[in-house]
Amino acid sequence: MGESPGGLGKSGLTNPVSTSPKNKNEGRGGRNPASSLFVRYPRLGDTAGKILFAVPVAFMCLFFALPLALTYVWSFFERTMFWMKPGFTLFSYHNFFTSARLENFLASMGHSSISVIVAFIFGFPIAVFIRRRIPQVAQHRVILLFILPFAVSEIIRIFALRPFLQRNGLVNNILLELGVISEPITAILYTPMGVIIGEVLSFLPFIVFAGFLAMEAVPKYVFEICEDLGASQYRVFVDVILPLAAPGIFAGSVFIFVNGLGVALLPNILGGPGAVNAGLIATQAITALDFPLAMAVNAIMMTTLLGLLYIGHKLFDLTKILSPMS
Amino acid sequence: MQDDYSSLWGYRLKWLYTLLVVFTLMAPVFYVMYISFNENGFGARDYVFTLDWYVVIFSDLLLLESFLNTLVLATITVVVVVPMGLVAAKHYKITRYPLAVVSLMLSPLFVPADILGSALLVFFKNLNKTFTLLGESFSVNWFDNWFDLGYFSAIVGLIIYTLPYVFVVILITMARYKDQQTEAARSCGATAWQAFWHVEFPQIRAGIFSACSFTIILTFNEYTRTSLLKGGYDTFTSVLVSQMLNEGMSEQSYAMSAMVSYIAIAIIGSIILLTLVRSERLEQVARAKADPMGAT
Repeated sequence: MGESPGGLGKSGLTNPVSTSPKNKNEGRGGRNPASSLFVRYPRLGDTAGKILFAVPVAFMCLFFALPLALTYVWSFFERTMFWMKPGFTLFSYHNFFTSARLENFLASMGHSSISVIVAFIFGFPIAVFIRRRIPQVAQHRVILLFILPFAVSEIIRIFALRPFLQRNGLVNNILLELGVISEPITAILYTPMGVIIGEVLSFLPFIVFAGFLAMEAVPKYVFEICEDLGASQYRVFVDVILPLAAPGIFAGSVFIFVNGLGVALLPNILGGPGAVNAGLIATQAITALDFPLAMAVNAIMMTTLLGLLYIGHKLFDLTKILSPMS
Repeated sequence: MQDDYSSLWGYRLKWLYTLLVVFTLMAPVFYVMYISFNENGFGARDYVFTLDWYVVIFSDLLLLESFLNTLVLATITVVVVVPMGLVAAKHYKITRYPLAVVSLMLSPLFVPADILGSALLVFFKNLNKTFTLLGESFSVNWFDNWFDLGYFSAIVGLIIYTLPYVFVVILITMARYKDQQTEAARSCGATAWQAFWHVEFPQIRAGIFSACSFTIILTFNEYTRTSLLKGGYDTFTSVLVSQMLNEGMSEQSYAMSAMVSYIAIAIIGSIILLTLVRSERLEQVARAKADPMGAT
C-alpha cells in the first residue's frame, strides 16, 4: 500500500463501466477509450467493481483497525531512549496502574459519567420534543440547528469558555452585577467542574442526534395509545420511551463517555492541575517519548470502549440503531 | 403538533428551551466575537468598538500561510473522502455483510482523537522504520521516508476522522433513492455509469454537496489529529493553539477565532439554507408526482 490515498480514491473512480447489471455504479469514466476493453472482457468490469468496493473497507482496515489492534502489541514493547524496541514487558502497565495515572483515569471516568448524565438530562428531552411535537417534515431542520456549534472549531469553543467562566469572566460579572453572589466563583474553571461543563457543552448535540435516531424506534401512535390508556407522563417516559430508545441512548452515552475520557483538550484547557484524562496521559507520554506507555493507555481505552459496546450490544442489540439507515 | 393544541404555552416553552440550549452551546463563541471588536481587548473596563484587530490579521503572513496549508489539506481530503464515502455507501447497500461494513465505517466516531492520533503516529513511525530496513536489505533508498509524518499522514488521519460523517450523510440521502430507477435505466439500455450519473446522482447531489462542505469544515476545525500526525505549527488551528498557549490570548487571536467562526457559520448556514431550499423543491416535485391531480 505504498500508494497515496488520493491515488486509491482516484484509481477507484476512473474504473470504466461494467457490463454486468450487478455492479451498477462503480465507474465514472464510462466514455473513455478504455471502455471498449471492458466490452471485450466483461468479466474485467466485474473484477474492477469488486476491487473498487473493497477500497474503503481495505483503507479502514489498514489505517484504522490495524493500528488500533497493534497498540496492544506495542504496549508490551520495551522503552528505549527515543523510541521502543520489540520485547515483552509489563513495565508500561505497571507504570500506569501503580501511579497517580490510575487515580486520574478513574477520576476522569467519574467526571465523564457525570457529563453523560447531565447531557442526557438536558439533551434527551429535546430529541423527544422534536420527534413528538414537530411536524415530520420540519424535524430534520430543527436537528440541523444543533450542527451549528460544529461550524466552530472545538478548540475555539473550549478555549472561549475560559474568558466566559474565569474569575473576571462573563458569568461571574453578570452574577456579581445581579447581586446573586458577592465574590466571584472560582470553582467553575481549572477544576473538574470546568471539565464537566466543557464536556457537556461540547458533546450535548450528540445525545440530541443519538436520541433523535433512537426515537425513530418509538412510533408516534404509541404516544396516542398511552394517552388513550391514561398513562402519566412519567410512566410513558420510563416504561415506553426508555426501553424502546435504549440502544440509541446507550450509543450516545458511550460516545460522550469515551470522548470525555479521550479528548485531551478539555482537561488541558479547562481543568486544573489534577484534571487529567486518558487522552492527556497518552499525549503527555508521547511528548515524553514514552511510546509504550502511550500505547498501554490506548490499549486500556480501547478495552474500555469495546467492553462497553459489548455490554451494550448484549443488553440492547445496538444494530437496531442502524435500522433507519437501511 | 396537531395533538398539542391543549397546551400551546407548553409547546412554546419547549421551543424556547430548545433554542436556549442552542444559544448556550454557541454562547462562548458569541462572547469571543464580542471581545474581538473591543479596542482594549479582553477584560478591559471600557468597551471601544474597533475593527483594527481584523486588519492586523490580514497583515499576518504566518496566519495567511497556515490558512493556505489547511486549505490544501481540506481540498485533498475532500477529493479522496467523498468518493470513498460514496463507494462505501454503495457497498453497504449490496454487501452480504452490511453490519461489518457499517461498524467499520462508523467506529472511528467512538475513538477519541488523541487515542487514534497517537496510535497512527506510532503506526507510521513503525512503517517508516520497516520500509527503511527493507530498503537497506536491498541496499537501495527508494523505500525511505514514504511514511514520514507530514501531509500524507495528516490526510490519512483526516480521512479516518471524516469518513464516518460522509458515509452517514450520503447513506441517509441514498435511503430516499429507489433502486428500481437504476434497474429501469439499465433495462432501457443505459450503461451503469449513465444510470448513475443521469438518474441517481441528481437525486443524491444534495447529500454529496453537504458531505463535501462538512468535510471541509471538519478539516478546518480539527486540531488533535493534524497536530499529532503532521507536526509543526503551520495549520489554522495549530497556529491558533500555539498563540493561545504561548503568548496568552492576544487581541489578534480573539479576532482570529472570531474570523474562523464567521467563515464556518457562513458556510454551514448557507448549506443549511441551500439544502432546505433544495429539499423543499424536491418535495414539491415528489408531491406533484405522487398526486398529479392535486387532490389533497
